Order: sequence, then C-alpha cells, then structure tokens
Amino acid sequence: MPNPLYIYVLSLGSAFLLTLFHRLDRSAASLVFLGTLAGSTLISALGLFHLMGGAASVEVLTAGFAPPLSINLRFGLQEAFLSLAVNLIGLLGGWYLLAQLREKAQALILFLMVFMGINGMIMTRDLFNLFVFIEITSIATYALIGLERDGRTLAAGFKYVMAGGLASSFYLIGTILAYHLTGTLNIDGMIEARGLLDNPLGAAALVFLIGAVVIELEPYPANGWALDVYQAAPCGIGAILSGGVATGALAALYKLLPLLQVGHLPVLVSLGLATFLFSNLLGLKQESTKRLLGYSSIAQLGLMIAAIAYLRQTGHEGLVPLVVGGLFINHLLAKAGLFWLAGVIQKEQWRDWSVLAGNPWLLLLFGTLVFALVGFPPFPGFWAKWELIMQLAAGGMYGWMAAILVGSLLEAVYLLRWLGKALRSETQEETQPGFSGLAQPAIFAILLYATGWYCAERVGEASLTSLLPLVTAAYLFVIDRLPIPSRIVGLVSLASVGVFSYQVLPGLSGLAWLFGLIFLPGGMLLIFAGLYREDVRQGFYPLLTGMVMSLGVLLQAQTSLGFFYAWELMTLSSYLLITLGKDAAEHALSYVIFSLASAYLILAGFALGYAGSGSELLTGLQASGSLAPAVLALLALGFVVKTGGFGFHIWLPGAYTESDDDFTAIISSIVSKAGIFGFLVAGIYLGDQSVGGLDIAYLVCWLGLLTAVFGALMAVLQEDAKRLLAYSSMGQVGYIVAGVAMMSHLGWVTAVYLSVNHFLFKGLLFLAIAGVIYRTGTRDMYRMGGMIGRMPITFFTSLIAIIAMSGVPPLSGFGGKWLLYNGLIEKHWYLQAALAFFSSALACLYMFRLLHSVFLGQPKLKHKDVKEAPWWLIAPQLVLVGVILVISLFPQYLVQPISSAVEPYYAATLHWAGNQVTTDIGHWNGFLTMSLVGSVFLLTLSWMLLSSTRVQRVKQFNIAFAAERPFTPETTHFAYNFYPYIEKSMGGLVRPRATRFWNGLSEWTHSLAATLRSLYTGQAQTYALLIVLYLILMVTLMGGV
Amino acid sequence: MSEWLVKGGYAVVSVTVAAVYGLLLSGIIARTLARSQGRIGVPVWQGFLDVFKHAAKRTAISHGVMFYLGPILRLTGGIGTLLFVPMLYGSAVFGNFHFAGDIILIIYFILFGALGMALGASEGGHPYSAIGIGRGLAQFAAFEVPFALAVISLAIQYDTLSVYQIVGAQQNGIASWTLVTNPLATIAAMISLLGSTGYSPFDIVGAPQEIPIGPRTEFQSDFISLMQLNRAIFAAAKLVLYMDLFFGGATNLLVLMVKTWAIYMVPVFVGAAFPRYRIDQSIRFFLRVPTLIGIAAVIFADFFFNAS
Repeated sequence: MPNPLYIYVLSLGSAFLLTLFHRLDRSAASLVFLGTLAGSTLISALGLFHLMGGAASVEVLTAGFAPPLSINLRFGLQEAFLSLAVNLIGLLGGWYLLAQLREKAQALILFLMVFMGINGMIMTRDLFNLFVFIEITSIATYALIGLERDGRTLAAGFKYVMAGGLASSFYLIGTILAYHLTGTLNIDGMIEARGLLDNPLGAAALVFLIGAVVIELEPYPANGWALDVYQAAPCGIGAILSGGVATGALAALYKLLPLLQVGHLPVLVSLGLATFLFSNLLGLKQESTKRLLGYSSIAQLGLMIAAIAYLRQTGHEGLVPLVVGGLFINHLLAKAGLFWLAGVIQKEQWRDWSVLAGNPWLLLLFGTLVFALVGFPPFPGFWAKWELIMQLAAGGMYGWMAAILVGSLLEAVYLLRWLGKALRSETQEETQPGFSGLAQPAIFAILLYATGWYCAERVGEASLTSLLPLVTAAYLFVIDRLPIPSRIVGLVSLASVGVFSYQVLPGLSGLAWLFGLIFLPGGMLLIFAGLYREDVRQGFYPLLTGMVMSLGVLLQAQTSLGFFYAWELMTLSSYLLITLGKDAAEHALSYVIFSLASAYLILAGFALGYAGSGSELLTGLQASGSLAPAVLALLALGFVVKTGGFGFHIWLPGAYTESDDDFTAIISSIVSKAGIFGFLVAGIYLGDQSVGGLDIAYLVCWLGLLTAVFGALMAVLQEDAKRLLAYSSMGQVGYIVAGVAMMSHLGWVTAVYLSVNHFLFKGLLFLAIAGVIYRTGTRDMYRMGGMIGRMPITFFTSLIAIIAMSGVPPLSGFGGKWLLYNGLIEKHWYLQAALAFFSSALACLYMFRLLHSVFLGQPKLKHKDVKEAPWWLIAPQLVLVGVILVISLFPQYLVQPISSAVEPYYAATLHWAGNQVTTDIGHWNGFLTMSLVGSVFLLTLSWMLLSSTRVQRVKQFNIAFAAERPFTPETTHFAYNFYPYIEKSMGGLVRPRATRFWNGLSEWTHSLAATLRSLYTGQAQTYALLIVLYLILMVTLMGGV
Repeated sequence: MSEWLVKGGYAVVSVTVAAVYGLLLSGIIARTLARSQGRIGVPVWQGFLDVFKHAAKRTAISHGVMFYLGPILRLTGGIGTLLFVPMLYGSAVFGNFHFAGDIILIIYFILFGALGMALGASEGGHPYSAIGIGRGLAQFAAFEVPFALAVISLAIQYDTLSVYQIVGAQQNGIASWTLVTNPLATIAAMISLLGSTGYSPFDIVGAPQEIPIGPRTEFQSDFISLMQLNRAIFAAAKLVLYMDLFFGGATNLLVLMVKTWAIYMVPVFVGAAFPRYRIDQSIRFFLRVPTLIGIAAVIFADFFFNAS
C-alpha cells in the first residue's frame, strides 16, 4: 500500500525539477511531466486496489503529532476512488494538452499543481489546509485558463479569480468563526464538537463555509463566471475544470456536510436541484459547444450536491457510493470525453458538428458520451439516477423527483439535438478530423462501459441476458465495419436473434410468451425482409438486433429496474434506427423526446410503487397501498404516450414515415406492442384504480377509442402511403389500448388478439408498401397506380392484409372486432362501442384509398417496366398471409392460448364448443363462416367460369368515357385529394391542435430559458454581485433553521 | 356430412326464394313508382328479363382479375349476408345459418360485398368509379353510426346479439315488436336504412341521371347480371334483417313478403319526395340528428332494460 504522501512529493519534486529539464530538452520535460501524472495515478490505483481488498485506510499525520496540532490527510476508500479519478483525468488531460503545455515550463508546473491541489482537497481533514489546497488549485487553474493568451481567455480567467476570491474570502471567514467556536481546525474534531456550533455565530460560520464551497460548485444563478470560463478556455482546460476541479470542491462539500444540522440539508437539496433544473433549461438556448457543455456540467454538479445532501438527510449514507459515485464517474468520464472531442472537432457551434457524419467510429464515441450524459443504460448515470429517484420517492419528495425528471428531459433535449446534427451530414464538407486527441475520449468511453457494468453488478441487475443486447450490438458493429456485403451482416444478425429467441422464448409463459412470439420470431421475420436492401446502412443491423433483443429482455424482467433498463435500451436503439432515414432528423428528435417523457413517467410510476410497497419486484406493485392510483395513473400515461395516444401522438406520423421502410414495419408492428405489454403488466399488478372519483381505466378506454377515431380520420386525408399507414397504426393501437383498459377477460383477450393481428397485417402492409416504394421510387400514392399488373403478388398480400385489417369476415380481423364489441357491451360501455364502430367504418375509407391509388386505377407510363418486389420482401409477406389465413379458419388456435394466459387474472367469459365460441351475448363460428363464404364464392366463380360468355381483356384506356378519349394516366387516375367531402364535413375535427399545443409549449420553454438567461450579462461585476446575493440567499434559507 | 348437405339444400331454396322475391319486388316498386308519376312503367317481371338477357350475352369485357372477381365477390357478399340472417323464425328450410354468427358478423359482412365490388370497379380504371366508391364508403361510415347505436340498444334490451333470439323475443304479438318497445332504436335504424338503400336524398353514390358512366357502364353481360341478381338478394337480406330486428320477424313466407314490402316502401316514398343531398351534406346529416336519436336509444335502453 503506497503512502499517498508520495503523490505530493512526486508532484512538488517534478515541479521543481521541470524547469531544469525543460531547459535541457523539451521531450525530457514532457516525459517527467507525464511520468509524474502516471505515478500519481498508479499510487491512487494501487491504493484503491488495496483498500478494496480490505486494507485499512491510511492516516497521514504531519510531523507525527495528533490533530489539532498537525494536519491530517486521510486516504480511505472514497478518497482513493476520487483521487484515482482525478489523477486519471490529469494523466489523460496532460497528454491531451501536451503540445500546448510543453511550450512553457510554467504551464507544465501549473498543471501538476492543479492536480496536486485537487488531491489535497480530496484527502485533507483540516479546514485551513483545505483552504490552502483550494487556493493552490484556483491559482494554477486561473493561470491555465489564460493559456491561449487572448482577450477572451484572460477575461474569463479574471472572472474565475474574482469568483474564487470571493469564495475563498467567505471560506476564511467561516473558518475563523468555526475555529473560534470549536477551538480546532481538524474537521473530525469539529464534527465531534458540533454542538458548539449551535448558536447564531456558529450558524453564520457554517453558512460561510458551506456557502463558499457551494459557490465553488457553480450554482445557479451565481455561475455566470463559470460559464464564461467554460466557453473561453481551451477544451482541454474545460475538461479539467469540469472533471477535476469540480471533484475537489465536491469532495470538500462531502467532508463538511456532517457539520450541518439535518434541518439545513433540504436547503442544499433544493439549491442543487434548482441549479440542475435551471441550468438544463438554459442549455436549450445555447449555440456554443463549450458553453453547452458548461451548462451540462453545472447541472450535473447541482444534481450531485442534491444527491449527497439528500442521502445524508435520509440517513442512507451507504448508498452514496452507488448514487453519487455513479453520477460522479458518469459526469467525469462523459464530460471530459466530450470536451476533448470538442477540442479535436474544433467547431465553435454544435450545429456544425455534421462533420462527424459518415464516420462510424467517431459517431460511436460521440454517441457513447452523449448517451451516458443523458442517462441511458448501460452507463453508470442510469443506475445512479434510478436509485436516487427511488430514494426520493421513498422519502415522499415528489416535487424534487419531478424536478430531476424534468431537468433530465431538458438535458436530453439539447444533447440529443446536438447528436442529431452530428448524425446527419448536411454539408458536402466531410473533412475527417485528425486522430490525435481522440485516444483520451476513447479511453474514457471504454471506461464508461466498464463502470456501467460495475454499477449494474452492484445493483444486482448484471445478468448475462441483460448484457446480450449490448454485446451482440458490439460484435455486429465490428462485423459491419468489415468490407463484406451488408446482407451477410444481416444474416449474422438474424442468426443471433434466432439463438437468443431459442434461449429466451421457452422460459417465458403466459402473456409474456405470447408477446415474445410477436417480438422474437416476428422480429426475425421482419429482419429477414429487411435484407432486400443491398446498400450499406451504417449501424442498421447492430442497432436492430440490439433492439429486438432488448425487447426480449423486457419480457423477462422481474424487477422494475430490469423492466426499465430494457425499456430504455429499446428507446435508445429505436431512436438511432429512426435517424437512419433520409429526412428523419427532426422527427427522430421529437420521437425520442416523447419516448423519454414516457420513460420518465414510467420511472415515476415505478418509484411511487417502490415507495408504497418497498419492493423492487414488479410483483411488488400489488402492494402499493394508497399510492396505487397514482402509480397506475403515471404508468398508464407513460404507456399511452409511448403508444401514440391521442394528444400525445404528434411524433408518430413523422417518425414512422421518415424512417427506413423496413424499419417502419418493425417499429409499427413490434415496438408499439412493448407499450401494450407494459400496460398489461401495470394492469396485472395494479388492477383498476380511481383518482379522485375518476376511474383511470375508463378514461384510458375513451382515450384509446378517440385515438382510433382520429387516427382513422387523419389517415383518410393523407397523400403519402407511409403516412397513411402510420396514422392507421396509431388508430389500431388505440383499439388495443382500449382493450387493455377494459380490465376484463374479454378486454385483455381482445387486446392481445388485436396485437397479434396488428403485427400480422401492419407488418405485411408496410413490407408491401416498402416493395412498391422501392420499385417506383416515390411515396405519394397519386403518383402510383395500376400496380396490380406489375406487382401482382404484392397486391394479393396487401389485399389480404387490408381485408383482415378492416374486420370483414371471414378473415381474422373480424375476430378482433367481435371480441371488442362483446367486451365493451359486457362492460356496459355502450357509447364507446358506437365510437369503435364509427372508427372501424372510417378505416374502410383509407384502406380502399390505399388499394385503389396504388394498385388499381390507371397505371402510369413511367412505371411500365416496374418489376415485382424482391423476394426478400415477398417471402415474409407470404408467410404472414399464411398465418392470417390459418387464424381466420381456426380462430381458436389464437384465442384459446390467449384466453388461458389471461385466465389467471380475469375469469373467462368465452366458451368454446368445437369451432363455435360464445360469450354472454354473442356467438361466432369462424370455421363455418369461412367455409360458407368460401363455398358460395366458389359456386359463383364456377358459374362464371363455366358460362359460355367469352371474356375479353382490354387495354387500360378502353373505358366508356362519355364520348371522350382518356388522354394520360395522370389525368385519368383519380387519387389526389380523394376525399374532399370528408375534409368538408369532418375536417374541423382534425385541425392540428395537438401539434400547435406542443409547439407552443416548446416555444414557451425556450422563451423562459431566454428570460432566465438574461442574468448572464458577461460582466464580472454582475457575477460578483450575484455571488454575494447568493450567499445572502443561503443565509436566509439556512438561518431560519 | 349428410346434415350439411341437407342444410346446403335448404340454403339453396331460401336463396332462390329470396332472389325471385327480390327481383319481383324491384319490378313491383318500379311499376308503382311509374304509375305514381303518370307513366306505365316496366312489367313486374322486368328484373328476370334483365338478368337473363345479360347472362345470355356472348362476350364480356374485362379489365383484369379484380374486375372479373368484383361482381362475384359482390354476389358472394349478398348471398352470404342472406345466409346469416334467419328468414323465417322456427323454420328449418328458411332458418339459414344464423348460428354461424350474430348481428356483428352481419354488419361487418355487409362490407364484404361492397369492398369486393369497389375493388372490381376500381380496376376498371374509370375515375368516376373511384369517385362513386369513395362517396359510397364515406356515406356508409356515416349511416352505420345510427344503425350501430340502434343495434347496441337492441343488445341491451334483449341481452343478446343473436338475431334469432331477438326475433324469438318478438313473437308475442305486435306489442312485443321492437317498433313498439324501443321506438327510438327503430327510428334511428330506419333513417339508416334510407342511407343504405341508396334512394334519394342519399343517392349521390350512384347519382343516376347525373353520372352516366362508371360501374354501370363498365360492367356488362355476365358481370352485370350478377350485380343485378345481387341487388335483389342483398336488398332482400337487408329487409329481412330489419324485419327480424325491429318488426317481429316472420313465421311464414306471406307475412315475410308483406312486411318486407312495407319496410321497403319507406325509403321508396322518401326517395320519391326528396331531392338529392350532396355527399358532405349527407355525411353531416347522419352524424347529427340520427346519431343523437341513436344515442338516446342507447341511454333509454340502458335506463329501462338494465334495471337488473
């Protein structure tokens, strides 16, 4: 176990010697410099290794005396961890900045001093010694900020010194007062003598002390100086500031916190959360890359302050390593990585980051760093935030919980907006940035995965299955980079999902198994269809495989954390897959914002469930007690938003339409079912609840059916084939949501039956349309026409799909409708049943429009040589048609398994007698219906075939056109604005009100951010004033206790 | 197996009877209307003449597979609908296959023929066919709402969706007819019938005397004979359905014919008296007062019959 004092010895020694080496040889100086940093890192690492192995912490007492006569440095587990993190950032940061630093020996020395100072801040147990180390760090940092010697950096450095000076003054005053009262400068001694501080003077001392440290941590609104520093300083320095210096201040705060009374702690939590919320809000308006990262840093620091204070307040200090440690390492690695990457890319504005597009490795790096910050799994921030939210809910602190979730959502918005820009290359300029300076962010990115895994293990969620989606995506990514045809990668991904299904599917039962059939084998079928594209799509197969596997993991989840983990993985991968579409950038962003909002609602629901029941298991939701209505309301709202419920649907048409055609099939028929599955899980464990007299399920049913009506109505008015199908999906899933909301046997059977059916026919339709779009090159229906002659198989499959979707007997869609109406009438929900009828009738309109505009009518001349769709697309369609026909003939093959899966929750009201099924009021015999219709059809057909009339096929323009000859197909094929009278009679219902609402909300948020931002005038005087005012604020808030 | 052959035979009988009756009925109606307008009109057996004449033609022109199948699907829809509705209560011959499904099956199966025809006409390539079909579907969506509400009201009242059982509950004289026990539902359904039979003011779909082109001109010979046959059978099916649901059903053929004739007179008289609505007017019409009547019927039934 190396003595930590050597860190200081090494740093100071090298500092003194560097001047000599620098004079002799620049390279020697650099070697000494890096060697020192490496040595410090090694010492910390060895120390941490020993401490984790169970060694006792090292107490360094200067001059061998006991405190308070000497200075006490402690090197325990936490100090070792922080020290390692800081030294690592120092090592990599020094390497990153080496070219700039080595010009002057002073720069190298100052750099070493910064990190020595931070190590001191971490390890010292003496109040005044802490002040000394703070000063060392500040002065060295100030000098380093001005490294580039231009006006902006020098001004920023000055503001930094001014703020630091104020903070140090406050700290000194506090120290003096505290020393006067307690007689010791040693922190441990002072904690023991804490009672001596329980008077106005002591309170003042504490406020000054804590206030000074908090100000060092850049709270809102007294942080304008910090933002200017982040913006002006070179990126390498920014990394050190946000990662290194802030760590020291955080360590100081953690040390001093036991001095405060418990009543003071909520103040700190509120201040921290206010910083988190408002900094993220202001980040929305930011254009400069570095300033944006500055806002994010400040926000994360605020969150960490709040977390430390809250955990201490509730006495859960044991969770500090997971929560605060996780947040800390997440912030450190990701933020430093991003600063370093920004230094390599050298684009002042984040909107110019499209130079990254087309470079998969850089995108992987950037994506890793951004997603870690946003809080996606598998990174440490995800696990830490989860635990924190759970603790907040358990403590009943719903307001704070909401503040964190809203702040996280805002942060996600501006970070993903930035990522979206990088994913799409708008300009022709695709200069590849140089590779020097990329090693450091790359190392940190790898560390993010490693620390994420470690956190997962600590939480208990690190199983092989939950790791599989990531591992598979990783090796597929590597294979994707090889110069092999993309179809091979596709086949490998298909095989991977196959093996995964084989492992996972037998272990599922009941409803999870049924949904597993949709997700896994169904997913495989649709992945196979995607092989029709032979062009290279960067990252398509890794992401797709990861997504399908994460859906499998979702089905297996036993704990709410496991469920949420898989949910977030699915959100992440589906978002990235949408961005692959040509014009999909803004739609992908709105998709991910709504998805994250829904995820946070679900998180809040789970948190309240944990608070109510104390159990982490999903089954524990049953015991939520008085919180059950709120849990159900939150979960239901989250799942409704995810499935595109009416009012929250504005992301749906854009996301579905603009993504790749085969992916639209997957997202519409498979991913939306994840929301349904979640809703069923909530229903299983919570049942129906009412909030304030309003039955939640009743409301959700109305919402689902309204979604069905409006989805159908909007689909009727579309010209774009994919957009029509997107609205149609929205409507059909509305039925499913209504089915779940019925909370009865028939309701759930309907929901699952419709889910399977929707997968079958919507997947089929999207594949068919993908084929048509692939061959004709357009998505507009009025530009197509007469495709039945050119693409007969596609027409046949589309026809079957549309007949099934419309609910016309004898195909399988009718079963779903029959179950739905029986269920609704059984529940005495009569008006809802009528609404369902109306929506169903409206659906026929757009279905006919699709078939007519695309396949029937007049073929266009330019489509003369259009061929049938590729067999990759046709084969899965035929499989789906086969399944539809089998289910139509023998509905019991589908309904009976579903019925027995739902039976444990609601007693069966369906009774089977052979092929006939009856409910309390209705009866249906699918086999007989199909046979009857089939026989009548065959009889009539044979009559026609046997008749002696000679049937003659004529050319397309040979129609009775009232003494005129049709001129061109374009003027004869009626397809554009097909339903003007619907627009006239019912169009008032479908004005874009929801879009206007959400746009308005977004505008309002931006305006708020702009207003709040006006505090940052850029003048040091303002900042100084704000710092003093902030201290006064703290006095007011904490003094009252 | 033999039982199914017997049933099949009975089905053939009832379909034939319905076809003959339907064709006769259309002839009777045409002659009555003509007389009321001061003309002589066609003979009552004109329907038969038309069907046989068209079927006997030597050639037919087709625009493709769907076009060929269109009238076949249409007729399948018509015959199928008839087969799901019990024509006579308590009769084995005319009972049809009511046990295959309930009223929901019938409502949705009506769409089968319409969709098949729509696809066939659409492949004809005539723009007016598409316009007409679009209007037809939109109007269907509109008039189905009051009818659906009426059906739901019936389901509440009789606690069943089975047409056979609904007829069975009305066998105690006129006082037990739905017309008397649930007048609101009957009114809503009758207004819906106006839309579905396609007489004025809701004949914008075919728009006779206005659009001389479209499906009526594109389909000829064998095709149009099937379509005309279907018009008879499908009309008979709808009328029998209404009779079963609202007017007490029938236990013998004479009562059936009288009742269906009476029901059919309603849209005919309304059609003779009123001019045509535009399509958007027609859609809005059905979604206003008739829908309100339907909702009132549901609320009434819920209140009255759900006391248990």
